[in-house]
Order: sequence, then structure tokens, then C-alpha cells
Amino acid sequence: MSALSFTTELGRRRLKARRPGVGATRPGFAWAVPATVFFLLFAILPLVLVAVLSFTSWDGITSPHFNGLANWTKLFDDPVMTQSIWLTLVLTVLGVVTQTPISILLGVWAAGHQRNRAVLSAIFFVPLLLSATAVSVLWRALLDPNFGLPGQLPWLFGNGNLLGSQAGSIAVLTFVGMWQFTPLHALLYQGGARAVPQVLYQAAAIDGAGTVRQFFHITLPQLRNTMITSVILMVVGGLTTFDTVLILTQGGPGTDTTVSAYYMYEQGFKNFDFGAGSAIALVLVVVATLISLAVVRISGYDKMRSTAEGI
Amino acid sequence: MGSLRVSVRNRASRNRFAALAATTALVVGLTAACGSGGGSGSASADSGTIHVLVYGDAGNTVEKQIVDTFNKTSKVKAVLDTIPGADYQSKLNTIINTPQAPDIFFNWGGGSIAPYVKDNLLLPLDSMIAKDPGLKNNFLPSVFNTAVIDGHSYGVPMRGTQPVLLFDNKQVLASAGLSAPQTWDDLINDVKVLKAKGLTPIALGGGDQWPTQMWFEYVYDRVAGPGLFEKALAGDKSAWSSADSVKALGMLKQLIDAGAFGSNFDSVKFTDGGSPALLAKGKSAFELMGSWEYSTQQSGNPDFAKNDLGYSAFPSVSGGKGDPNDVVGNTNNFYSVLKKTQHPDAVAAFLKLMYSDEFVKAQLGIGNLPTTTNTANFLATSASPAYSQFQFNLVKAAPSFQLSWDQAYPPAATTTIHTAVQEFFDGKIDTNGFIAQMQSLSNS
Repeated sequence: MSALSFTTELGRRRLKARRPGVGATRPGFAWAVPATVFFLLFAILPLVLVAVLSFTSWDGITSPHFNGLANWTKLFDDPVMTQSIWLTLVLTVLGVVTQTPISILLGVWAAGHQRNRAVLSAIFFVPLLLSATAVSVLWRALLDPNFGLPGQLPWLFGNGNLLGSQAGSIAVLTFVGMWQFTPLHALLYQGGARAVPQVLYQAAAIDGAGTVRQFFHITLPQLRNTMITSVILMVVGGLTTFDTVLILTQGGPGTDTTVSAYYMYEQGFKNFDFGAGSAIALVLVVVATLISLAVVRISGYDKMRSTAEGI
Repeated sequence: MGSLRVSVRNRASRNRFAALAATTALVVGLTAACGSGGGSGSASADSGTIHVLVYGDAGNTVEKQIVDTFNKTSKVKAVLDTIPGADYQSKLNTIINTPQAPDIFFNWGGGSIAPYVKDNLLLPLDSMIAKDPGLKNNFLPSVFNTAVIDGHSYGVPMRGTQPVLLFDNKQVLASAGLSAPQTWDDLINDVKVLKAKGLTPIALGGGDQWPTQMWFEYVYDRVAGPGLFEKALAGDKSAWSSADSVKALGMLKQLIDAGAFGSNFDSVKFTDGGSPALLAKGKSAFELMGSWEYSTQQSGNPDFAKNDLGYSAFPSVSGGKGDPNDVVGNTNNFYSVLKKTQHPDAVAAFLKLMYSDEFVKAQLGIGNLPTTTNTANFLATSASPAYSQFQFNLVKAAPSFQLSWDQAYPPAATTTIHTAVQEFFDGKIDTNGFIAQMQSLSNS
């Protein structure tokens, strides 16, 4: 009897000790200092500097001098800027729309226990290991109109002038982005799908639900939070698309694929007009923040509701 | 129990102290790192050295050799620094007005140094030339003039000249019964014949944009002479809307509409080997390209370069004001000098080596074609003597050697020029659209 009460007492104590924040002092502000300092130094401070620079004219050689709202008035009259915001949004939406379904299917499939799954998954995830530069150079060569795929498949590609038109260039950018980023999101969904409790599937199977119904009524709803995470990553990635544009289209033909991030680079580091580049950067920051906030608000992600409902 | 609690609290406060200390150390370290950047590597503050900054690539072997030669006799020692890769201009821009700036730096003349001249950072070489006229007389004038701004010399040629030539595939031309075109009408005729045979007459890497620009440079020069562009560059925007400008654009349009470049040139690039392959594999008969086409073909398609790669000057235009001997392209690379250098005499001695026999032989040895007057003596030692001889004669005889438009204008104009030439070839803008875009350029 006494031995039993001793072990329960011990167990209770152990339980207590494991619970965080009880009995020990809560971590103070000091713990957050390193991260906060880094954030201030490398995120907030540059942001403030960019905001200041956007009101100056600076060629990067002599010291910047204030020119009031000149960069901003120029920016709002600039058709390339307006177009670049639209292009950025179009590429972002196309990215989400094309990548989400494929990565969900691939991720859920990769979460299963089928034969050869591990080997095939490893192959599917290869693009994840390649740098964006390598991916872009690879596709640039594959899509060469004379010696690449279009030259072999004229019935599909016509004259192969994929990068010579706006629609073609956007299609190529979307496709290459999809090829490159689907594996990352599939990996997220694989993790999410693995975390779905098996009892839900067992209960559904007893009720007579087939694979398809199980997918739509259990897997998809349970993946909601994963989906939001993935979509936010896609949106942020889409809004800052740069490397593929730099290598595949250089914003061309003409300015047909000059997205905001590329336009910022062009103004700053090719035209040496850092004031104008900073103004574009600031617009990009504001637009991206607003969109991220909207996604978080609409999806209810901020409330962090559990998906483990009904267990 | 009480003592335990005390020790826990102690540990917590000790940890907090440690974290604070670590953070403080980090912040101090970072600021220190930022601060100390200015001290090290400061070029002109060091006594007894001059820093020479060069675009980092395979050509550095010669620059290294020349620096070694210089250091053998000079008390002031030269140090060679390189910035690797294509971002040379942006990186140069970030250090040119800092203590890390070099004494002597590599550039493309023209617009690539114009902003620095405007900001009063560069040393005019006129007094050096007055002391040693050889610094000017030993170079071909059409090349030397590229680094003359507002009447003052700011650069001495180094490395090699890269004129734009019309390359052809001899086999394709022979099988179509054609020869390299002498006149614009020949070219139009060749295009028609080749098109009828199902070929893309002229390979064009439109995706890179600057190969398209080469067509504008030559046609404008042949139609209007070099004066039109010089006028425009000097700020007279009416040059772009002149009758000659409209005529040149009309001729280009005629060529595009004749199907000379096919329909998918904007998806082809020179830089990834797309357009050189069209020429080498006989799918096209011509390519207008800088003299580096030769070495590109030599490394990519050695058999083609040896047997079937032909080259000629750009065709003449009947009734045009331009001299058919004019060339366009990259005149040369230059060494310019920063005003704040502590050792102008050592710099002058270093620049003299740019016309030495040793320099010329070394450059020819790695496939570059220097533009010194003594180059002619050594052409036979070049890797491909016939090709070097052709280029040298072309450049020497040229009354005008127009620097590429995107390098004649300051870097800020590049994007606008590239967009305009591409959209004109696409048909997205017409003659008036092109003129308006070029008139929007600022020359300073």
C-alpha cells in the first residue's frame, strides 16, 4: 500500500516536472534579445533605410541627396511599375493554382505505404536539391526552339517561340516554378497527411467510405493548416519571384515579364538608380504584407484552431 | 527546499546575464566588423603600392604577367585585384568612391566611365600624354577615342578589340549558290533565296537583346554615318526623328518582314549557345556577332570553325552617308586612373607597358587582338593569323569605330535601349514607338 502510494506520488511529481513553465521561472526578455537584435539589425533597420532612400536620388557613387517625392510620383506614372504589380499577382495566383493540387496529391500519395514509394518519392524530390539558377538554365536549354523539346514536338509548341510572347513567357515561368517548388510543398503535405490519425480512416472504412471519399472528407479537411502554411509560402515566394525571371526571360520580351522584384533589381543594380529601386522595394513590402495578412485573416490561421477535431 | 529555489533563481539570473553578455558581444562584434571594413585593403593609403583592378576571367594570366614585369623594376609595387564574373560594373560602382577603390581599373570606355568623370573621380591623362606622347600615338586612333570624354583622355587601351562582323556558314552559302553579301541588296536577295530553301537565313540570339542591337548599330552607321548617333549621345534628341533614322528603321523592318530572322528569335540566346549552334549546324547561313564568335565556335564546334566558318565586313548601303569601312562593336577595354592615386608617376610607368612588345605578344597568345601600332609586327604569332590579320586591317582602316550603343550611353540607359530594340524586332512598337523610346534616354 505504502509502496503503491509512493510510486503514484513519484509519477505525479514527474508529470509535474515535465509540464513546462510550472515551478521554474518563465524565460524573460533576455532570451528574446539575440533574435530581436538580429531582427532589428537585419530586417527593421534596412527597411527604414530603404524607406529613407526612396526619397533620395542616389547613383551609389556620391552621397544620396533628397529629392522629395520625385521617385514616388515617377513610380505611379510608370506603366512598367503598374504592369509589374499585375504580373507579380498573376504569377503568384498561377503558382498557387497549379502547385497546390499537384503537391497535395503527391504528398498524400507519398505519405502512404505503397511499394516503391520511397524510391519514387526520392526521385520526385530531386528538383528540391537543385538551385533555382541550375533549374532555370536547365529549362532554358530544354526549351530552345531549334535544338530543345519544341524543335522535336512542333505539333505541341508551334514555332517554339515560347519566350517571344507574354503568354508564352508567363506559361514557362509558371511551369518552371511548378517543377521546382512542387516537391517542397509535397513534402509539407506528406508530413501533414502522416499526422492524420488512422482511427479516422478506420471509422470511415467501417462506415463504407472508399478511398476517394476518405480523401475528400478526412484527408483534405485535416490538411487545412498545412494548406494554409503552404499557400502562404507560395504567395510570399510568388511575390518575390526573381531568379527564374533573371535567367529565363530577363523581364522580356520587352518588359512583358518584368515583375516587381526584377524591376527593383533592374532600377537599383543595372540602372544604378537606388532611389527608384528603393521605392519599388517599399511597394513590394507593403503589398506582400497586406496580402499575407489577408491570407492569415481569411484562413483563420491566426486563431490556430486544431485540426484534430472529433477525436 | 528553500536553498534549492535560491539556486534555481541564481541559475536563471546567471543565464540571463550570460545571454545579455553574449548579445552585447555579438552586437559589439558586428559593429566592429562594419567599422573595420574601411581600414583594411585601403589602396592608395598604403605607401608604395598601386592597386590594379581587373575583370576576373581567363585573360588575367596576361595582366598577372605584366604586373610581375612592372614589379621587377619599379619601387612602387603593383597589386593585381580581380572581381570575378559578369557583375564587374555593379561591384566597381560600389567601391569606386570608397577607401577600397583601386588606383587603376579595367573598363569599357565611353558610358562605362562617364558617370565617374561626371563625379570628378577620374584623372585626365592629358598631362601624362604630354610627357610621353607614346601613350596616345602607339594606339589606333579610332580605338583610343572611345575613352576620350569632353576632349580629355581618360583611358589607355588594354586587352583586345572586338569588332562586330558578319559571320557565315560557307557550306550553306555554297550549296545555295550564294556568297557573302557586299551590299544591302545582296543581303536581302540572299535572305530570300535561303528562306525559299526552308532555312532561317540569319541566326539571332534575340533573348539576349544586345545581339539585336548590333543590327541597329550597323544599319544606322551605314545609312547616316557615325554623326547621327554621336549627336543623339550628346543630347540632341532630334537625331532620332531625323529622316536618316526613319530610313534606317525602314530598312531593318524590310529585313525582318522578309523573314530574315525567322519567327522565334526571341526564344534563342547567344549566351547559352542557341544561335551559334544554328550557324554551325547549317540551319542558318549568317550571324552578326562580335569577334568572339570565332572562339565560341572553336570551343563548341571545332570542325566547323576550322573548315566552314566565314566572316566578312557588314554590307554597304547604296546612297548611305556612312563609310562602308566603318565598324561597330567593343573598341577595346581600357585602364583608367583614379584622381586620388598617390603614385601618378608609377601609374604612368605601368600604363606604358600597354604598348610593349611583351604585352602584345602575350595578348595575341591568348587570342586577344591588341590595338597598338606594333601589333602588326606580331600578327603571324597569333593563334589564328588569317583571322587576326583580317580584323586588324578592318579596325585600322576604319574611319569610325562606334562603341556599342549600350556601352556608349551610361549604364542607366541600357535597359531602355535593350527593350526598344527587342520590341521593334517583335513588332510590338513601330518606328515612332522606337524613336520615342530612344528620345526618352538621358545622356548623363
